[in-house]
Amino acid sequence: MVLKSLKYTLKTALTTTEVTRLYPEVMMELPANERGIHELDATTCIGCGSCARVCPNSCIELVPYKYGNPLKNRKMLFPQIDYGRCTFCGLCVDECPVSCLKMGKRTEIAGWDRKDIVYGPDRIAVKKFSDKEVAELEAEAKRQAEEKKKAAAAAAKEKAAKAKGKENKGKAKPAEGGEA
Amino acid sequence: MSAIQSAFPGSVLESRVESDRRLWITVDPKKLVEITQFLRDKKDFDHYSGAAGVDRINENLFEVVEILTSHGAHQVVVMMKVRVPRDKPSVRSLTGLYWNANWYEREIWEMYGINFEGHPELYPLLLPDELVGYWPWRKDFKGYPDTTTGERAIEQVGPDGYTEFKIMPHPEMIKAGVVPERPKYPTFREREEAEIKSDSEMIMHMGPQHAIVPGPFLLDLLIEGERVKKAFLDVGYIHKGIEKIMENRTYLQGIVYTDRMCYLASITNNEAYCGAVERLLNITPPERAQYIRVILAELSRIQSHLLGTGEFLTLLGAATYSPFQYMIIDREDLVYLMESITGARITHTFVRFGGVRNDLPDGFADKARPILKRMRERTEEYMDLLHSDPIYTRRMRGIGVLSPGDARRLGVSGPPLRASDTPYDMRREDPILVYPDLDFKVVTRKAGDAEARVEVRLEEILESIHIIEQCLDQIPEGPIQEKLPKKIKPEPGEAYYRVEDPRGEMGFYVISDGSEKPYRVKVRGPVYAYMQALPPLLEGAYVADVVAIAGSMDACTSEVDR
Repeated sequence: MVLKSLKYTLKTALTTTEVTRLYPEVMMELPANERGIHELDATTCIGCGSCARVCPNSCIELVPYKYGNPLKNRKMLFPQIDYGRCTFCGLCVDECPVSCLKMGKRTEIAGWDRKDIVYGPDRIAVKKFSDKEVAELEAEAKRQAEEKKKAAAAAAKEKAAKAKGKENKGKAKPAEGGEA
Repeated sequence: MSAIQSAFPGSVLESRVESDRRLWITVDPKKLVEITQFLRDKKDFDHYSGAAGVDRINENLFEVVEILTSHGAHQVVVMMKVRVPRDKPSVRSLTGLYWNANWYEREIWEMYGINFEGHPELYPLLLPDELVGYWPWRKDFKGYPDTTTGERAIEQVGPDGYTEFKIMPHPEMIKAGVVPERPKYPTFREREEAEIKSDSEMIMHMGPQHAIVPGPFLLDLLIEGERVKKAFLDVGYIHKGIEKIMENRTYLQGIVYTDRMCYLASITNNEAYCGAVERLLNITPPERAQYIRVILAELSRIQSHLLGTGEFLTLLGAATYSPFQYMIIDREDLVYLMESITGARITHTFVRFGGVRNDLPDGFADKARPILKRMRERTEEYMDLLHSDPIYTRRMRGIGVLSPGDARRLGVSGPPLRASDTPYDMRREDPILVYPDLDFKVVTRKAGDAEARVEVRLEEILESIHIIEQCLDQIPEGPIQEKLPKKIKPEPGEAYYRVEDPRGEMGFYVISDGSEKPYRVKVRGPVYAYMQALPPLLEGAYVADVVAIAGSMDACTSEVDR
């Protein structure tokens, strides 16, 4: 009887392929869906904070960061993730309205200090703008803001004029101006 | 329903028939025991599934919900509520009718302060002694953080040389005169020492840290010679209060916590919670999502059984052919398969209300089939090996026998119950998802001993493989997520949903008050029921067999102390 189990051992030893992983040298192959460290696309993030709101452990905080898109993200706030608390549940990824937050295949987080494992937007951003692009975008944002201001002023003027004329039709027009 | 009303006119205050399997009734507290006895004796409600306390603070009431079901005679679950006023709450205990009401009532007592008249041992179960009397799960409990506990502790050395720490009440409490009155009860040690009757008996501790236990719990054995005379169980070392945490999280965030109750069964826990919330939201997931859920639930069952069995065999010293290593190797394939769907190895957070998170990856079926085929061959080999191993057989056969009657009385479920010749499986009893469309058989054994329990588990692996293969053949194309409202705010109401965990009957009872957060979540876990049944099972066994018996139950302390 014992022989039978020994036979089984031998069979396994001879036929099964090697299962030991050479981990620090060779990382195992991770599937495409792996939920590892986040990957932030800073060029599309709108800084809405829905990831921070849905996080069950409130480990996401919005912090200022330079290399984003000021046209979309007006306050230039981007998620910072505290991996000391993160449970890798992926709710933040599901909740993101512009799908700019993903989870990647990187999984090694260890650090010497708790501060080391708080990853700011600079450490999780995989796509970001360069200095030059940011400057251009900022100029663009400024220009747009000014245009908007002008448009708003014009709309206000128009509205005032319409209000003087006491026309009911005028109600729709200023609204259009505001949107532009 | 009408039978109850005609038998007890006037004592049923409210009733609601949700479906042909759920019946909600509110009864008069004075008639509780009589109605329960009527249900048990006349209507075959022989399985006491659990009880939940609810603090209805707005109505100034406490509610105790007793969950009664039957072992196969019919499929109705009765949710019987009793309402008692908030000052001096007291309910009559059901321990006289159902042995396993004991722990459920103890938990309600320590968490809510609802007294149970006629309860034989109303001692704290999960809470530390310092917290008893504060009734932490009441809605008006101010709670932590109280960082002064350490400063208030006073060290005392008792006459027997033990050092005890006594925690004094908060100075402000003393000043205001609102020091809660501590209930008087003997401590765990006093209780067990009171049982020592002669000099030939002694108490042996196993735990809180011990090789046999899957997490910290204390098993104290009162032994006389080689025999266990009585066993005492102390749990609550890692009590996390997940039910209370979930009251403070939104419905979506709650899914994350269900994972952490028992990491081997995280998919089924997700499933149970999401199913209950789906009932509240009145949605059904699309068919493809249901199939994906079934596939994952069964994969998770296989890996749980493999790890549970493998770990248990190492405890028995089955070293000649190290089955643990083999099972871990096999399990790795399955875990990888699950990871390729969900993205996580053990804590999946995968099931969503009305669907699932991800679709199956491309070529999943092709990848899964060879693994399942190999798994089937290996499982058959394990069964053959264990069967032919004389050491194993001698250690397991006839050990820790649970007769069918006892198993039902003690309230266990899952493989231990099925090993005792009771075909009680939630997939059959309370079918969910696409289980009615699938062909599988409920594995049972007649013997009821430790060997039968392991055999049931191994054979269930084969059944699970069969189910997954059917699912892979039948799975339709289509959406995987039902449309949800932007904010998940179920209508006020309540739902109870059961699934078959790898370890048994897992139920979630969720109450909604119409806000974003659940009003109350009650978890009816299978291991809680096992653990409660462990002391009577160990009585009369040899010390050497304790490991075989306790290990064959495949417990998970994390879920008991959820």
